[in-house]
Amino acid sequence: MYTERQKKRYRLIRNVVIVWLTVVLVAGFMVAIPRISILEHTARNLYFHVPMWFTMMAATLVSAWHSIGVLRTDSLIRDIRALQAARVAVVFGILGLTTGMLWARFTWYVEADIWWNFDPRQTLAALQLLIYGAYFVLRTAVDEPLRRARVAAVYNIFAAVTVPFLLYVLPRQQESLHPGADGNPAFSEITDPVMRLIFYPAIIGFIGLFWVLYTQRVRTAIVKHRLTSDPEL
Amino acid sequence: MNLPTGIAMYLLQEAPDRAAEAAPYDSIWTDAGSNAASGAFEQVMLSNDKLFVVLGVVLIIWIGLIVLLLRTDRRLASLERTVEENIPEEDPLAPPTETSSDRTTP
Repeated sequence: MYTERQKKRYRLIRNVVIVWLTVVLVAGFMVAIPRISILEHTARNLYFHVPMWFTMMAATLVSAWHSIGVLRTDSLIRDIRALQAARVAVVFGILGLTTGMLWARFTWYVEADIWWNFDPRQTLAALQLLIYGAYFVLRTAVDEPLRRARVAAVYNIFAAVTVPFLLYVLPRQQESLHPGADGNPAFSEITDPVMRLIFYPAIIGFIGLFWVLYTQRVRTAIVKHRLTSDPEL
Repeated sequence: MNLPTGIAMYLLQEAPDRAAEAAPYDSIWTDAGSNAASGAFEQVMLSNDKLFVVLGVVLIIWIGLIVLLLRTDRRLASLERTVEENIPEEDPLAPPTETSSDRTTP
């Protein structure tokens, strides 16, 4: 169970995240940006679509960190933490993938009228989500809690190791319409400084939102475990 | 850049002439210029292709989600209190001490 001090810290961070993200949302719509053909107002998706992936990566790091902890200490609470961080990571990954599809449909594929064209970046991102999907399936295959925690931890560390390759290294070496591919710079010189002022706070805000959702789920799982001896949520 | 400057920059932008692009069945969309905007609020909402109406919709959804988050938190906190009061102290999630040391010695 969470101590009173931990609960207080949770409420404080939650409230800061709520205010922070509200400011980001408002600024994301209000602040004028350069008008670029094809992109037009969809350039504002930089504040919302891209932080989904940053948040997903941060969440997988948290998850892997706790999985390492499971192997070191056999702590079941860290198994709960690894599982819930991975769950929220996948939620952000799905949001990143679907927002990316919508964005691509009306920019890359605006004349072609297609939603999915196996662009390497998108395909590898989808593969990444499937790798995490297997983690949840694997957990259901083992009944004994400590054994399940250890087996899942080993797989989860493998899954986290694939993240930088599938989301960063491999897509950069292939031809893709997505920024950050061969001959297509991601961000550096081509982004207006005004957009960075909103983009970086957006990343921090969404990672904070991950922390809130993750902590809420961990607390719920702990209560469930206390009542039913089964922490799976 | 502060926000009022951002709004001012919007209001200063010229309304694009869309009459030439209009397709059959379109009503011609001429941006805020042709709307007889009365109040300041209405002027802002109609400016910049009515982008701020979308902001309003997004904020309503966001506030709804926040309310859900806060209500869930309150219920969780009260559930935690109930469990703590009714179920004895032993902590089933504490790391096992004997089993883990067994494991390290083959």
